[in-house]
Amino acid sequence: MASVVFFSHSSLSVPLKDKKLLEVKLGELPSWILMRDFSPSGIVGAFRRGYYRYYNKYINVKKGSIAGITMVLACYVVFNYTFSYKELKHERRRKYH
Amino acid sequence: MKTTKNFYLARPVSGHLAPALTDSPIRGHRNAKIAVWNSADHAVPSGTFCCRHSGPLSEECSLPRSRTLGPVTERNALKSPNGQDFNRVLQATRTFHTEQPHLAPVPPLPEYGGKVRHGLIPEEFFQYLYPKTGVTGPYVLGTGLILYALSKEIYVITGETITGLAVIGLYIFGVKKFGPSVAAFADKLNEQKLAQLEEAKQASIKQIQDAVDMEKAQQALVQKRHYLFDVQRNNIALALEVTYRERLHRVYKEVKNRLDYHISVQNMMRRKEQEHMINWVEKHVVQSISAQQVLNIFDVLTLYLYL
Repeated sequence: MASVVFFSHSSLSVPLKDKKLLEVKLGELPSWILMRDFSPSGIVGAFRRGYYRYYNKYINVKKGSIAGITMVLACYVVFNYTFSYKELKHERRRKYH
Repeated sequence: MKTTKNFYLARPVSGHLAPALTDSPIRGHRNAKIAVWNSADHAVPSGTFCCRHSGPLSEECSLPRSRTLGPVTERNALKSPNGQDFNRVLQATRTFHTEQPHLAPVPPLPEYGGKVRHGLIPEEFFQYLYPKTGVTGPYVLGTGLILYALSKEIYVITGETITGLAVIGLYIFGVKKFGPSVAAFADKLNEQKLAQLEEAKQASIKQIQDAVDMEKAQQALVQKRHYLFDVQRNNIALALEVTYRERLHRVYKEVKNRLDYHISVQNMMRRKEQEHMINWVEKHVVQSISAQQVLNIFDVLTLYLYL
């Protein structure tokens, strides 16, 4: 596999597809979303990236704290709660809020 | 207006590696179990790194990312003019092999993880709200959300709630009580691992140093080789001398032998001649003495007797 070099001249800003989500302006958001890679490998890649991002920030350090796992557990709890909300709805004490 | 050129170094990598390598949050974590190699590029920062364990936590290693705050690169958006699929192409904003690879030497693990407040909410959230709402903003937001969820019964209070509260209480109690000791234990494990590696490194260094010293000693010995050669030369000269003298002596002996032979032959001849002559003379003398002469002599002798 040969290495390929692409030269891109950008005068002032980064091209849209290279921006992070927080840097994207609101008007550009739809086009930015459409530019993302939604193929299976792209989605898998996104998950992998997210995983490693979290892992490197909170777990793969010399002195990790409990927050690394706690956040994962809390998200897991919330996640399960949302999936069981359909059944829990029936246990509400009032019908109208 | 300063124009900045971004050089995109696109390197095709294997599919399962590509996604993680284009990640943007650029905290230079450099652990990688998987090497990003391609045939042409040996300056790739992510070599094979050994996995570091931080305590009893996860064992997996992540792939490296560049330390530079380059712009986010999208893998999929890049297609070559030939229509080659560069979905699996790693892009990194880096000049083309003109500088050192970013992750060499490999940077150490960060000391502490991202700051998290109350063990649940990352600090970045508080910092994000601080300019607009000050210090109490996130807390007010949290309280509001909780009250909203309770009042609208988005969170339903059931028997599980008590269980949940008890579990959370236990969890917090456990963490507060056993946290430091577990942390110390994990740190000790890490330290042991580091000590082992360090020891291996020192042993290796020492070994190499010993090899270097031995090499130097042997090189110094080379300077003294001439002693050896002198001794050898002397030995050879001695042997030659000895052989020469030996042969000389032998020659002398042989010659003397021959000459002695001649002398003894001469002596023997002379002796033989003498004896022979004596015998011959005696014989003839005896022969010449006739009987008459014998009687004459007897008469003379008797005369002498009477005198």
